Amino acid sequence: MSLTGFILRRMMALVLLLLAVSVLVFLGCEVLPGDVAQVALGQFATPENVAALRTQMGLDEPAALRYLAWLAGVLQGDWGTSIVSRLPVATMMSERLANTAMLAGVTTLIAVPLALALGIRMAISAGGPVDRVLTVVVLALSATPEFLVATLAVLFFALHLQWLPTISYLSPGSGWESTARALALPAGTLVLVVSAQIARMTRSIITNILSYPYIEMAMLKGVPVHLIVARHALLNAIGPIVNVVALNVAYLVSGIVVVETVFAYPGLARLMIDAVQSRDFPVVQACALIFCASYVVLTLLADIIARLCDPRAVATEG
Amino acid sequence: MTDKRLPIPRLHAQPRQSLIGRRAFNAGLFAGGLATMLPLGTRSAQAQETPKRGGNVRLAVVQQTSSDTFDSARYDKGNDYIRGTSVFSYLTRINQAGEAVPEVATEWEPNAEGTRWSFKFRQGITFSDGAPLTAEDIIFSIMRHKDEAVASTAKQLVENITSVTADGSDGFVVELASPDVDLPILVGLFQFALVKAGTTDFSMPVGTGAFTVEEFQPGLRTVLVRNPNYWKSGQPYIDRFEMFPIPDNAARANALLSGDVDLVLELRGNGIEEVEKSDVADVFVTESTRYTAIQAMMDRMPSSNVDLTLSMAYLIDRQRMLDTVMRGYGTIANDHPIGPSSPYYNADLEQRSYDLDKAKFHFQKSGIGNAAFEMSVSDAVIYSVDMGQLLQREASRIGMNLSIRREPAESYWSVVAGQKPYATTNFHPRPTYNMLLNLAWQKGAVWNFSHYDNERLQALINESRGTLDMDLRKQQYGEIQSILHNSGAIIIPCFLSYVDGVSKKVKGLTPLQIGNLSGFNFTDKIWLDA
Repeated sequence: MSLTGFILRRMMALVLLLLAVSVLVFLGCEVLPGDVAQVALGQFATPENVAALRTQMGLDEPAALRYLAWLAGVLQGDWGTSIVSRLPVATMMSERLANTAMLAGVTTLIAVPLALALGIRMAISAGGPVDRVLTVVVLALSATPEFLVATLAVLFFALHLQWLPTISYLSPGSGWESTARALALPAGTLVLVVSAQIARMTRSIITNILSYPYIEMAMLKGVPVHLIVARHALLNAIGPIVNVVALNVAYLVSGIVVVETVFAYPGLARLMIDAVQSRDFPVVQACALIFCASYVVLTLLADIIARLCDPRAVATEG
Repeated sequence: MTDKRLPIPRLHAQPRQSLIGRRAFNAGLFAGGLATMLPLGTRSAQAQETPKRGGNVRLAVVQQTSSDTFDSARYDKGNDYIRGTSVFSYLTRINQAGEAVPEVATEWEPNAEGTRWSFKFRQGITFSDGAPLTAEDIIFSIMRHKDEAVASTAKQLVENITSVTADGSDGFVVELASPDVDLPILVGLFQFALVKAGTTDFSMPVGTGAFTVEEFQPGLRTVLVRNPNYWKSGQPYIDRFEMFPIPDNAARANALLSGDVDLVLELRGNGIEEVEKSDVADVFVTESTRYTAIQAMMDRMPSSNVDLTLSMAYLIDRQRMLDTVMRGYGTIANDHPIGPSSPYYNADLEQRSYDLDKAKFHFQKSGIGNAAFEMSVSDAVIYSVDMGQLLQREASRIGMNLSIRREPAESYWSVVAGQKPYATTNFHPRPTYNMLLNLAWQKGAVWNFSHYDNERLQALINESRGTLDMDLRKQQYGEIQSILHNSGAIIIPCFLSYVDGVSKKVKGLTPLQIGNLSGFNFTDKIWLDA
């Protein structure tokens, strides 16, 4: 199967998957107790108020019709209007999507090279004192919950040393310096957590490869360790490693609610939780689809990279 | 029918107000005694200093929600109220004595029956787009809450209003179905922001307030800039006001301590102590009659068992709750909603307190034995989780088999409160006690979570609304308190003060009992002392 065919098939699968996800999310929203009108009016809801708001929001139409109307809109590139804020969903998402992409991007750029270097270093001296110390540190970091790292970082860098702001409040049009200061703590926290994960996986993947007979053969031939790792082990390890990296980056896009909360960073994960709580279906859908797509696209990218780095795959296609 | 017999302390008459006749003040009538709660000492000496112009103030709010709005008909939370008082003007506002005082409306007078109110309003006020404020705009701003399609949160409040008509170019007349001495307070509520006639889109609002909107992103931030044409001369003092959410309690307190924000709403727990210790910020305490209650539904078991509820009332260690959960910021309550510093307060009722013997007595009388029952608490109801834990520990000491169920916050008001036998509820004070009682204790009222039906109580609530004789009013309110105290329908252990955080740089705030940070109405009064 050619690479283009492979990509095409995966993209089609992605479309079907997104459709399935949107149905599931819609059903989930319907099953939750209390609809958007009820939640919006809260404690102070009167039955007449709820009914009026429901009509105004178009909630008195059958569920299937509402879903199809939403789907038709999306197919034409219209993400719809938030039921709660009455703003276009695209407008609501754009700034948060940019924020999330920025935080995930910065974190990835720092964490991935750092984690790979650490993982390889540990793998080379597996069992030695350097490996042991690093393993303990990395294990400890990956077992530490983010909110603890984040809170300690705030206490130390923001309140004690007063180097950095306690919250990551990004004013529109703020310069790169204030943006960098705002990003420092959340990105730092995520780098610690994410690179610990990637480093551990890198170490175990490479250590595993280093135990293969062909590596033993190379060693017996007298190839220096760094060359063995660089030429023989790493190339074969790229496939599994990029998959680990892809999963971690996808996590940075969708799963960093805790960090967003501690630093009051306005990102997508928090928006989705708010939207679920207020039963704001179009926003929940948009977030869910973005998260789902980011997972699929990132693993697809990982697979493509793995194939390109796999001489056997290249040879059969040639 | 202005009531000159009532002793109305004119506490905070500012120079601007003193230009207006005494008639306008007294027309506000005595509002029900929420006021006068504040000891005189809490009003600071700041008011004496001359405000300085300029600067940028940042406020951290609690709720991060895309339901943020500038449509005053949909207001239901502090975030919105603050935006409203900043960008819009109001006809009246409430002062520390609980009276309505002039804002855009300069004076008002009821007819002899109290069913027809004539208002005059200030001339020369313009909207931020240059259009003048007219009687037509005011009529629209009140009457739109009656429109079914608007689904206003103030719909119930305007039901008594039959019409609003223009009276010349500087006045308007409000007709009521039944007399209401508190109408001037009602039209100053947050929902009654003055908007342009015909407005339906509030995404970039046009108001006559102290600020105009530079940027508004629901759930993200609101950026307001000074309106140079504001009708209060010299105000606002600050150039720019920004608000954004920090939902995490610790992060909010930290942001205040590090100077990243100047004001924060709702300090909780350790955050209160940290700010108390700090030399950059102060806690800003507003005594209030906000309360978290346990409500017993009177039309189902086991909560209709009055002795069981009274037994629980004696099990709550109120002093301990005040000291540990609320860090001392509150006052002890006596299972009814009237605050101890109200002139209506019934001092003859014995103060209920932690008493294991009485608890046991009522528990045995209830005959419930060791049958298990539940009480619902939630993060939707402030301090209810802590209250539940305190109660449960004591309950086990007399063999009461009470379990605490923690319910999800977002569906609490639709599927728990008023649906489950024992549920905690939370009420903010209303401008008058009568409004609160009317909303919460009339038969069939939506907020009558106890489904309590007591004809005598309902009659007293209705009578007291039109009673002008202070002694008779006191009597009526005294009986209301005694009925609720003994009803077994509600347990109110404590009144909760509002505790906010304010940077030492920010001046000009005075506590107002109806809400956080000067009753959510402060942006045109604060200034920065750099």
